[in-house]
Amino acid sequence: MALEKELETYKRKLPELKEQEGKFALIQGDELVGVFGTYEDALQAGYKQFALNPFLVKKIQAVEQVQFITRFLDTCPS
Amino acid sequence: MPVLSLQISPGGPVIDILVGVSRARQQALQQAAQPIPAPVMIRGLVDTGASCTCIDPSIVTALGISPSGTATLHTPSTGTQTHQANQYDVSLVLVHPQISYTIHAVPVVESHLAIQGIQGLIGRDVLSNCLFIYDGRSGIFTWAF
Repeated sequence: MALEKELETYKRKLPELKEQEGKFALIQGDELVGVFGTYEDALQAGYKQFALNPFLVKKIQAVEQVQFITRFLDTCPS
Repeated sequence: MPVLSLQISPGGPVIDILVGVSRARQQALQQAAQPIPAPVMIRGLVDTGASCTCIDPSIVTALGISPSGTATLHTPSTGTQTHQANQYDVSLVLVHPQISYTIHAVPVVESHLAIQGIQGLIGRDVLSNCLFIYDGRSGIFTWAF
């Protein structure tokens, strides 16, 4: 799975991030790099710091919002 | 506000949209002196039943992009379970003859859509930037942004 380590880091850091719910966390490896007000700001910071190397941008949510798609889809596993 | 009225096709309200790398990734590619992939024109179905926007894996391949996020997804195909899907950051250009509207960074989920005759599902995340009217009696849908 892509970004598995980063997702684990997000889950581990979530208790301390909850006060910033709705903002966007930038994570690489086991490091929380920063929290940003918009998705694009987090992306900009990620690409600036890590260039084309993998990083995770994740909206901070105490309870993960499930994305619903009512159409039958063959989604690609992560 | 640019307004685009189109016929509802047998497949539903389908619209051409340009999908490219996000503005942030474009800048990173320039910094790395790497070529910027040309945006790809896709046929996207406007789907109010989709909370997020999806693109076909062929578009991901054409743009040479890597995941920058994950999403927890529930579809009829996942049954009662959810599953994790990769998210990619892209830009979308909603095309209009007079003026185009660009969203510079949109997280999209990858899913196999080409078999359904489309390459994208335009979900409510994108619709939140637009006005969308479905006039079934006239067979017309209107898209304003």
